Order: sequence, then structure tokens, then C-alpha cells
Amino acid sequence: MNDPFARYLCLGCGFLYDEQMGLPEHGIAPGTRWKDIPDDWVCPDCGTPKHRFEMVAIPYASGEPEASASNTF
Amino acid sequence: MESFVLKADDRGYNKLVSVGGPASYIAGHPDAFITRRSSFNFGDYQTGHHGFGKIRVFGDEIFTHAGCGYNMHPHHDFIIMAFILSGELTHINTLGKVDTLKAGDYYAFSAGSGGKHCELNINQEDLHVIYVWVLPDMLLLPPTYQRAHFNSIAPRNKLVPLVGGNSSMPIDQDLSISRLDSDAPGTYEYKLKSPNHGAYVFVVEGSATLDGVLLGKRDSIGVWDTDRITLQTGAEKSDILIVETIM
Repeated sequence: MNDPFARYLCLGCGFLYDEQMGLPEHGIAPGTRWKDIPDDWVCPDCGTPKHRFEMVAIPYASGEPEASASNTF
Repeated sequence: MESFVLKADDRGYNKLVSVGGPASYIAGHPDAFITRRSSFNFGDYQTGHHGFGKIRVFGDEIFTHAGCGYNMHPHHDFIIMAFILSGELTHINTLGKVDTLKAGDYYAFSAGSGGKHCELNINQEDLHVIYVWVLPDMLLLPPTYQRAHFNSIAPRNKLVPLVGGNSSMPIDQDLSISRLDSDAPGTYEYKLKSPNHGAYVFVVEGSATLDGVLLGKRDSIGVWDTDRITLQTGAEKSDILIVETIM
């Protein structure tokens, strides 16, 4: 229950899913665990299926993620 | 020492055409197409190696017919590099850069917090290009674009650093790329940075022997759990890329 939030990177384009932040603009609430996202979900940027994401333990750059929160690429 | 050998024909293969479903992604007239040989799992090719160290994509690609390429599309975080083997690449990105790259030219586009790019062959001549995608050591870095040129004449029979390490093109990852253009028999000892580093060696042209394993054109080998590798070349003209990465 208290596992740290994890981050998953799309191997098709690099799109990041951070469990802590969710994707509210795509209907996924902050705190949503990766396992609770439907198996047929795909990358919103490139269509890569959920199973072709990789969990990454890479830290954020200084000031992120807030600094680029308005970046909609 | 641990290793795997990947023969040229055992890589993934995709032919991407500019009509039908992929038309929004693949640019060009209806007869334009891209062929992609993937060293690591990418797209529909998922039966090979997941990657090597921080490398996730190593694509040996040919863009055929004028106008062929990848339409503008988004990326995050990956450091995407292109090494032009022949032909001409027109690269356009959202950092405001429009670049024309010819044989020997290469770039590193770090998508960081978000960027888009478009990759086009606008000439009749085929474009041969190797794309390498690398995970960065931090997420959401400011996007950057760097480009440089590998002169295949002047530094012949010498390992030349292209990216990372001692090169003029730093990247945000513990990974470096070197290139050797050889036309004479030689032995090159390459000392790895640490026991936690490995090397992915790809023969672009010609042939080479890596720690006793003979590699032909487009063959490759991944080596780790060792402190050095030894590359031997013959009289044949050979072109070899070495990617050293933290494992």
C-alpha cells in the first residue's frame, strides 16, 4: 500500500507516466497506480501500447516536473 | 566476460510505407518507404534484446524516394542521435533548427521536457542513416540540439570520439560513442571506463574481429563484465561504431 510512486517511460517516444501526478488531462487521477491503468491504454502521444512502457528510476532535473508542467508536447 | 552476438540478418526488420494507416507518420509520395533494421526491440519487433545499458534503439534505416521520412512528431526525454552514412537528411525540430546533414554528419537531439522533430530525405538518392536512442540520466531536462561531423579521411585508423566522454558533444548520460574508419590491419585495445560499463560494437562496413569473434557488415556484439575489449581489423576498408554505456 505504501510503495513509492513509480515512473514509466514510453519506449515508442519517451512519454512519461508518473503515478504521483497521473494524467488528469487524460482522465487519470493523480496517484493512479500503473497496474490500475487498463491494459488497452495506449501512449497519448504515439499510440504505443501500455506493455511497451518501461519502469525507470531516473531522477527529475532540477526544478522539474513543475517547470515544464505547461509543456504540451 | 559476458557477450551476445547479433548477426545482420537476425535484427528486426520493418518496411514503413507512406500510404494507409502509417501515412500520418511516414512522409512522402505513395512509392516512398523506409526500411528499418533494429538491433533492439522497437515497435512491432519485440523478440530480440530489450536494449543494452542505456541504449534502447539502434536503427539502421534507409529512406527511399524523395520526400520520404518521418513527419513532425513528439518526443520526451530520449536522447536521439542520427549518424548519416550516405545521402542527405533534412532535420527540423521545435528548437527552431532546420539542418541539412550529409555523410559523416551526426546530431544529438535531447528531447528532455518535450520536443518535436521531422526527418526527411528530400532527394532522389537513398538516405542511409543510423538512429541511436539513449535514456538520459535525468528526466525533463531542457531540450537541446547539437551537431558535428566525422571526417573519415583525416583520422583514418584511429578511434575518434564522437559523442559523450572526451568528445566535443557532451550528453546527459554516462555513454560515449566512438568511430573507427580503418583501411589497414590493426589492433585496437579499448579500455572500458569501469567494470560497470559495457560496449556495443557495430560494424557499419567491412569486417572486424572483436575478442576473437569475427563480425561482418552490419553484425554487432554487446560485451560487458570485462575491463577492456580488443578490436582487430584487416586490410579491408572497415567502418565501426563503438557505443560504451553504463550498464
